[in-house]
Amino acid sequence: MFCSRIVLQCDIMAASLAQLIEEGWGDYTMQQEEGEKIPCEKAALGEDRGIIIMSPSWTQLLFQILLLLVCCRHINTKTSGATPSPLAPVPTVARSVVLKGESQNETIEVLNPIKLELECTWTGDQDKLPNITVYWMKDENEIENSRLTVQLENEPYNLKREFSIEKEENLGTYSCVFENVSKINFILAAPQIGDVREKPIVSYVGDYVVMTCKMEESKPKPSSWNWYKKNGTDEEQIFPAEEPRYKIKNEDEKTKLVVHNLTEADSGLYYCGAVYAIATTKSPVKLKVITYWEPLKPFLAILAEVIVLVAIILLCEKSQSKKDGATGNETNADQTYTLTEGENKDQEGNSSVRQRKV
Amino acid sequence: MSPAPANELGYKPLDGGWGWMVVFGAHISIGFAYSAPKALSIFFKEIQEDLGASYSEIAWISSIMLATMYAGGPVSSVLVNCFGSRPVVILGGLMCGVSMVAASFGTSIIYLYFFTGIIGGCGLSLNLNASLTIISKYFLAKRPLANGLAMAGSPVFLFFLAPLNQYLLDKFGWRGSFFILGGLMLNCCVAGALMRPVVLPCKPPSFALQKIVEEQPNKSNNKLERSCTKNTKMFCDLSFFKDRGFVIYLIGNMMFIFGAYAPFLFLSAYAISQGVAEYSAAYLLSITGLVDMFVRPGTGLVANSKWIRPRIQYFFSFAMIFNGTCHLLCPLIRSYSFLVVYAVFLGISFGMVFALIFECLMDLMGNQHFPSAVGLVTIMECFPMLLGPPTAGLLVDLFDYKYLFFMCGSVIASGGIFLFVMNIYNYHMLDKENRENDSEPNQRTIEMLDQVLEVAMKQTADAAEERTEPGAKESNGAQEDP
Repeated sequence: MFCSRIVLQCDIMAASLAQLIEEGWGDYTMQQEEGEKIPCEKAALGEDRGIIIMSPSWTQLLFQILLLLVCCRHINTKTSGATPSPLAPVPTVARSVVLKGESQNETIEVLNPIKLELECTWTGDQDKLPNITVYWMKDENEIENSRLTVQLENEPYNLKREFSIEKEENLGTYSCVFENVSKINFILAAPQIGDVREKPIVSYVGDYVVMTCKMEESKPKPSSWNWYKKNGTDEEQIFPAEEPRYKIKNEDEKTKLVVHNLTEADSGLYYCGAVYAIATTKSPVKLKVITYWEPLKPFLAILAEVIVLVAIILLCEKSQSKKDGATGNETNADQTYTLTEGENKDQEGNSSVRQRKV
Repeated sequence: MSPAPANELGYKPLDGGWGWMVVFGAHISIGFAYSAPKALSIFFKEIQEDLGASYSEIAWISSIMLATMYAGGPVSSVLVNCFGSRPVVILGGLMCGVSMVAASFGTSIIYLYFFTGIIGGCGLSLNLNASLTIISKYFLAKRPLANGLAMAGSPVFLFFLAPLNQYLLDKFGWRGSFFILGGLMLNCCVAGALMRPVVLPCKPPSFALQKIVEEQPNKSNNKLERSCTKNTKMFCDLSFFKDRGFVIYLIGNMMFIFGAYAPFLFLSAYAISQGVAEYSAAYLLSITGLVDMFVRPGTGLVANSKWIRPRIQYFFSFAMIFNGTCHLLCPLIRSYSFLVVYAVFLGISFGMVFALIFECLMDLMGNQHFPSAVGLVTIMECFPMLLGPPTAGLLVDLFDYKYLFFMCGSVIASGGIFLFVMNIYNYHMLDKENRENDSEPNQRTIEMLDQVLEVAMKQTADAAEERTEPGAKESNGAQEDP
């Protein structure tokens, strides 16, 4: 914190020093690089460009400069990024891929805001082209000021660029393109929910339904979960506090939405959103609410079929037996069994095991 | 072909005609009985999410259903003995239908255990036992074929129920599907309607009658209930254990059931672990089912031939050894095409065993004792059936898939060898006993006659108490199978 205040002091110092020199030392100019702060050291070293006549204000200035010299050496100012470094340190992640001829895809899971350094290495080609144009793309749009024409030598060529990924808009597909040769796609996204249920969940009017979303064990857990319902083209977030019909039960890696007292209007598309610092990934769940009448129709049809068949079979049997009865025999004509006579073999009497012999 | 018509039946069974309609009814009934618990597993994921239960809690539904189906055997036998097959199958169908419809309104897992598992299982056990019994009543000469055709119901129904269940699930959710499945199971009532009772003309008392009257009285419908309940109290399950052939069969069967189901449960997982794609792994079970469908009637046909029929017990033990060997060879298989071959052989061997499993019991026990025997066998088979898959699962968790196949294969193969050896011994002993018996027939005949007369007189006395219809006159000597 002390050093950061001193950085500000640097600015003020530089400004006052420049003013002083302009007033008293016109021939000497401070060289300032455009758009950058003057490094403290350079401000302090401006002294050696001319003789310094010490005056009381100068003494004060000198003292401050000496103080700055001590502190400012420790401050790193970044030369490559266009944006200033935030106060909390943001991690830098580097990813490097070697181009292998065809177009490649590399997926990068992003949870929190990071600074991403992407590097594409090309090992060279059989037919040595003298020049090659390289550039970066985001989501099929070329990034401005990234186009370069490079002279190839015998060594592999590294194309590096740093990107600041802070918001959801920064996610997407970044590609390093070697024109007419190949490209590598870096797909930046928050962890996606793997197993998506394609078929709708079916439930009944007046009943309740439980919709689940689960993040795979191997992927990082979201900080929280949200649920949305699709209304026309918008997605409205569901707040259980407002509507007691909905209940959301969250665990680290899964979430459940319970809807009570279903109506047919509740049919439609729901989304569960896994909330990460950088973005929320959504996964659809389809719900279909039907009335009890729907399964009742086939059931009644089957019931009718069973009753009809049983009636037919029993009636046929009765009519047949009546016919036989009319002919004076009490048994069914079908089933006249001839009695075996003279069965004096005792096999069935003593043992229950029959042996089958040829 | 078989020798003289079944002496103990006292009549020559139809062996055709309406019998084939009965086989069709039994096919439907047995089909639902075996395929329903397995086909329900398609709904488990949905039910799990809806009721918030764990997978193992849900899987218990199938296990309870299957266990109750087997455990309800003795009760089912008693009912079949008293009332005959038709009312029992109709009742079974109604129970199944009502249980599934009631289950569709369930809000807790215990509710599902009770309705689908217990009530549904009871309904299925009534179906199973009664269907097998009526086949034994209608067929003798063509009985193996009839059994094979009836048992083929299991793979056929599974083949159709699995995709149907998936379709119903997508269209109506699990509740609607259960509702409609309840309706479909009412078709068992149609199957029951087809099972016309066997009606016999009157006949004089015979030796067979005496034994029957003592153990399983078959009387006229008027006196059925009272005499039935009276006599069932005297009915002693354990008397079967004195029968050598029965005990041999039971031990062999229990060993088979212990190892039979686990490979099916783990086949897909094993295939996936060997690098096969998930979709292709699921096809393996369908292939097994498809092969099974055709092998069962085929085996019945083969078993009916005059070379095999007398040696059917040996054929059964051969089928068991074949099945065991298939399992033992499975761990050697690494590639998908060989796994398909394994699935085909598994289907063949499994179908062979199941086509013969009840035919052999009928062959051993004879027509009269079969209903009670099958009840006893199924309740005893409950234990290995419940213990087998978890033991196999434990082996998979502790070691590797190949130990599962080794265990199942070795248990089944040794069961088959046991059956083979012990049947040789059994027939040898029976030969010996028969030769002894033949030497003194006359004495026995006289003793038998005395006993029969005693019983006949007792029956007349009973009949005089309650008789109202003239039909009771015939019931004295008539052997009426309900």
